[in-house]
Amino acid sequence: MKRNVLIGSGLLALGLLPGAVVAVEAPTPWLHVRVEEPRRSSRVHVNLPLNVVEVALKAAPETLASHGRIFGREGKGMTVSDFRRMWSELKRVGDTDLVTVEEKDESVKVARRGGLVEVRIERKGKEEVKVEVPVEVVDALLSGDGDELNVKAALAQLQKRRGDIVRVNDENSTVRIWIDEQS
Amino acid sequence: MVKLMAVLSVPVAFLAAVASLGVVVVDVREGGPDGHHIVVPVPLAVAQTALAFAPEERLRVKLDRAAQHLPLAREVLQALAAGPDGELVRVEEPGEQVVVTKVGDTLRVRVHDRNDDVTVNVPLPLAMAALPDSQGRIPMANLAGALGGVRFTDLVDVRSGDDHVKVYVW
Repeated sequence: MKRNVLIGSGLLALGLLPGAVVAVEAPTPWLHVRVEEPRRSSRVHVNLPLNVVEVALKAAPETLASHGRIFGREGKGMTVSDFRRMWSELKRVGDTDLVTVEEKDESVKVARRGGLVEVRIERKGKEEVKVEVPVEVVDALLSGDGDELNVKAALAQLQKRRGDIVRVNDENSTVRIWIDEQS
Repeated sequence: MVKLMAVLSVPVAFLAAVASLGVVVVDVREGGPDGHHIVVPVPLAVAQTALAFAPEERLRVKLDRAAQHLPLAREVLQALAAGPDGELVRVEEPGEQVVVTKVGDTLRVRVHDRNDDVTVNVPLPLAMAALPDSQGRIPMANLAGALGGVRFTDLVDVRSGDDHVKVYVW
């Protein structure tokens, strides 16, 4: 009797084992891109497992020369080197506004909020672009030399992110890019 | 009676052998009352042999700058094959829809518009086998081998109006 119980328990354990293995298996992160143009009734949805994105991004340049200034146009704003210096100082301060560029109809704000760096672009008082980047990603992006942005390192960090990365809302279209663990 | 059975056993055995090795079937149905129905079964072994003996100059593609991206394309296909199933792409516009789904080791592409429905199932091992090498040569031996692994697959299904074309491997 005892032997039968043992054999039965063993078989039951073997039967449950694959389920247990599945249960502890880490879920696959997915990168999602949604582009919608309500006026044209047009929708584009792209969902890719991050491991595929990781492989595809091998084609991305390892570094990106900024060729001038970031967070501004037509000679305004800051160079990457300027921003790197400022970032290394401000990172220790905690939550703060990092950059504010005010123009006639447009404002660009870069601020640190918790573990995120938020970039908001408003046109005519309406939020059009919101980018949320983890602090670690900015660190990695700025780990290049001179006016170069280290894209490769930033992408590697981005893979740990879960949640929204980019939201763009303009009058004709919306774009949302985010990472979660659902296909 | 025994003689008849003996005579018939040879073609029956041959057909059974061919069927067991697989058959690529092209099935074309034309719409309308006078539409034709054409079925072309090609034994997989014949297709594989034809691929193996296809002239090399015809199997070379001009790659130019694309050659440098071939290893990456192969890696992407491998990662895709190893990755989880799910809907990869959906494009919707009025009257048109394109959906790309990964199911097992197959990419299913569905295109639908007002008059046409197209479904293409791309077995990823076949796609990987069809990738040309750095010289632009399509490795036919690999392709022929991969073709054997896609049995019982509907490769192409096109419905356009009343016309219907299917290509499947049985």
